[in-house]
Amino acid sequence: MTENKIKKPFSFKRFIYNDNTVGYIFALPFILGFLGFSLVPMITSLVYSFTDMTFGDDEIQFIGFGNFIKLFQDEVFLKSVRVTFKYVIISVPMKLTFALLVAFLLTRKSRLVTLYRSLYYVPSLVGGSVAVALVWRQIFARRGLFNVVWTDLFGADAKVNWFGGNGKLAIYPLILMSVWQFGSSMIIFAAGLKEIPESYYEAAMIDGANGFHRFFKITLPCLSPIILYNLIMQTISAFMVFTQAKIITEGGPNNETMMYALYVYNTAISYDRMGYACAMSWVMLVIMVIITLIIFKTSKKWVFSEADS
Amino acid sequence: MKKKILALLMAATMVLSLAACGGKKTDEPKASTSAEEKVTLRMAWWGSQTRHDRTVQVIQMYMKDHPNVKIEYEFFSFDDYFTKLKTLVASDNVWDVFQLGGNFPDYMSKIYFLNDFIKDGTIDTSKISDAYLKITQDTDGNQIGISNGLNTYGIAYDVDMFKAAGVPLPTETWTWDDYADAARKIKKATGHFGTSSFTSSEFAAGCTTYIGQQGKLGEFGFFNLDLTGMGFTDPQMLAPYIQMRADLIKEGASPDAGAEMEITNIENDFLVTGEAGMTWVAVNQFPTIYDICQAQGRTLALATLPRVTKDGNAGSKIQSSQMLCVSKDSKHKKEAAEFISWFQNSTECNNVLLGERGIPVNEDVRVALQASANAGQKIMYDYVTLVGTFKTPEKVNVLSPAGQDQVVDLYRNYIQQVVSGEITASKAAELTYKAGQSLFK
Repeated sequence: MTENKIKKPFSFKRFIYNDNTVGYIFALPFILGFLGFSLVPMITSLVYSFTDMTFGDDEIQFIGFGNFIKLFQDEVFLKSVRVTFKYVIISVPMKLTFALLVAFLLTRKSRLVTLYRSLYYVPSLVGGSVAVALVWRQIFARRGLFNVVWTDLFGADAKVNWFGGNGKLAIYPLILMSVWQFGSSMIIFAAGLKEIPESYYEAAMIDGANGFHRFFKITLPCLSPIILYNLIMQTISAFMVFTQAKIITEGGPNNETMMYALYVYNTAISYDRMGYACAMSWVMLVIMVIITLIIFKTSKKWVFSEADS
Repeated sequence: MKKKILALLMAATMVLSLAACGGKKTDEPKASTSAEEKVTLRMAWWGSQTRHDRTVQVIQMYMKDHPNVKIEYEFFSFDDYFTKLKTLVASDNVWDVFQLGGNFPDYMSKIYFLNDFIKDGTIDTSKISDAYLKITQDTDGNQIGISNGLNTYGIAYDVDMFKAAGVPLPTETWTWDDYADAARKIKKATGHFGTSSFTSSEFAAGCTTYIGQQGKLGEFGFFNLDLTGMGFTDPQMLAPYIQMRADLIKEGASPDAGAEMEITNIENDFLVTGEAGMTWVAVNQFPTIYDICQAQGRTLALATLPRVTKDGNAGSKIQSSQMLCVSKDSKHKKEAAEFISWFQNSTECNNVLLGERGIPVNEDVRVALQASANAGQKIMYDYVTLVGTFKTPEKVNVLSPAGQDQVVDLYRNYIQQVVSGEITASKAAELTYKAGQSLFK
């Protein structure tokens, strides 16, 4: 089509045949979905967070920052923040280490590699599902598979009461479940490893570098942008952990597994305090933004980019 | 060009179909009471599989007798029911006929009072005594719904396990000390839990009852009668009970938090699986577990709730298990009320339901069911009759205030903290009291 600088009167025909119109119409399902299911609910929840909104209550009162002030006097809320941080700090590095390790082992040229990769990816496929959480709950129950094996090996006194007692152990099965689902990070790592030119390793080998050197001096720096990406994605998703806590422990015992998202859900649905729960989720957003920013800012120090050197 | 038009058309169809999904308006026909017109009622309830089967059967009976009424039903487990209900409340689209329990104050804005329907005879209450109508009225005397059945709490126990441990069987006037003693002895003799803890019952049957049992008859309650504040002033009144619960858990005579989680419904309570000597029950649950245990060759019996002192208040209350309500969103309130009237009053209908929701409030129905009761049901009927003979205060409050769930969760958590030695029982009592108070601010 040739450009025509003269302004023409509006015509429906031209409008409908315009490339942009077609593009927008194709994008419309997404735009509608985004507006209806993301943007509007988000704005609504921001408004609610300044009210005492409950379900079925027609009189909604604005209470300013009341919800936010109350949050910091709420012992369960403060505990849920602590527990969630503990979960993120332990599970994310373990998961990434594990994913990198397996991805590294699977860079070898063997015909079985694809099979292994698919196998290791399976836990992530079934990952967030309720069914796996239910199985997990059974495995770590008082007479679950874990204790059957454990007491067989070490005698009846060695029985571990994961979800009982003082509750300090309860979070570890949840962490283990998250680490077990390392598949998606592994795939991304594997792709990153393939991108590292073989010539780097060859050059290093001629200079007499051993495997240890090669991993820390070549693989890790070259992979650092991928590590950054995985770190951020996994941190964000770890903050939002819900299914495991809801199904396996219901937040108990003594709120030792009361994850942030679970407490938001309980407050909104079980305790019927929608406004308070909305305030909580906005605080969570702020926390996650800050954490992500910190990771980004520090990344300049440790992420290696080939363009710089 | 043709390709473009085609693409555009397809995109447009996509958008249209999407809009059709989202924009479904509730353009149902205007309310009408004429008998010829077809009326669709939506109904929902929660409960066990037995309840689902029986309720579906009576709905089909009703539709056969009333060809102009079509009933669309949904049923859920307890938690799912209230999750669904809350979303329907938010979208002003609550089922025409729906089931509610003592937590109805949360849904007050959606309940259509039945006062007028009772006055004009749409709902027949001639065979329901005033006392039984009262258990489903709010504090202003508005009829919230019609009770599905009478209910009260008790302690179900395994007779043989008591005998094996050499513990005397519970009497009508046994005390909490006797109870704790029995639990410890059973643990010692059999290695099983002395008492299990089906958690949804423990707060109502244990904690709140314990308060009502103290002082003069009707002096105290956990919450006050009009649900505007606490019903007692000294938090320490709770402390001995919390101490007892924590001690039993610590000694392994009662399940800890981890073990408690393995109980998902009354059918897999430790009493039923043979791993505990006692458990809390709402008595309408008793016939079901009695039958299960009978099939295993074990005998269950039902004991009254222990008391603080032998000659003190019983503290037991007869209450409504649940009720059927009409929603304000309903376009066919009259038809909904007619169905409720039939559901509660028809002997034919209740011969199918068999008191699974509790003992029917209609006298004729109750007599008819009692005549054909099996062993477990008979124990339940006798028990409710027995509790009915206990001295009760003139006014009792069988309802719970909005937001009580949070108090229960906190209370249970404080007990766990006492078990792990984080806080003392006296501190836990104070904190529980404070949690209760915060509902009324």
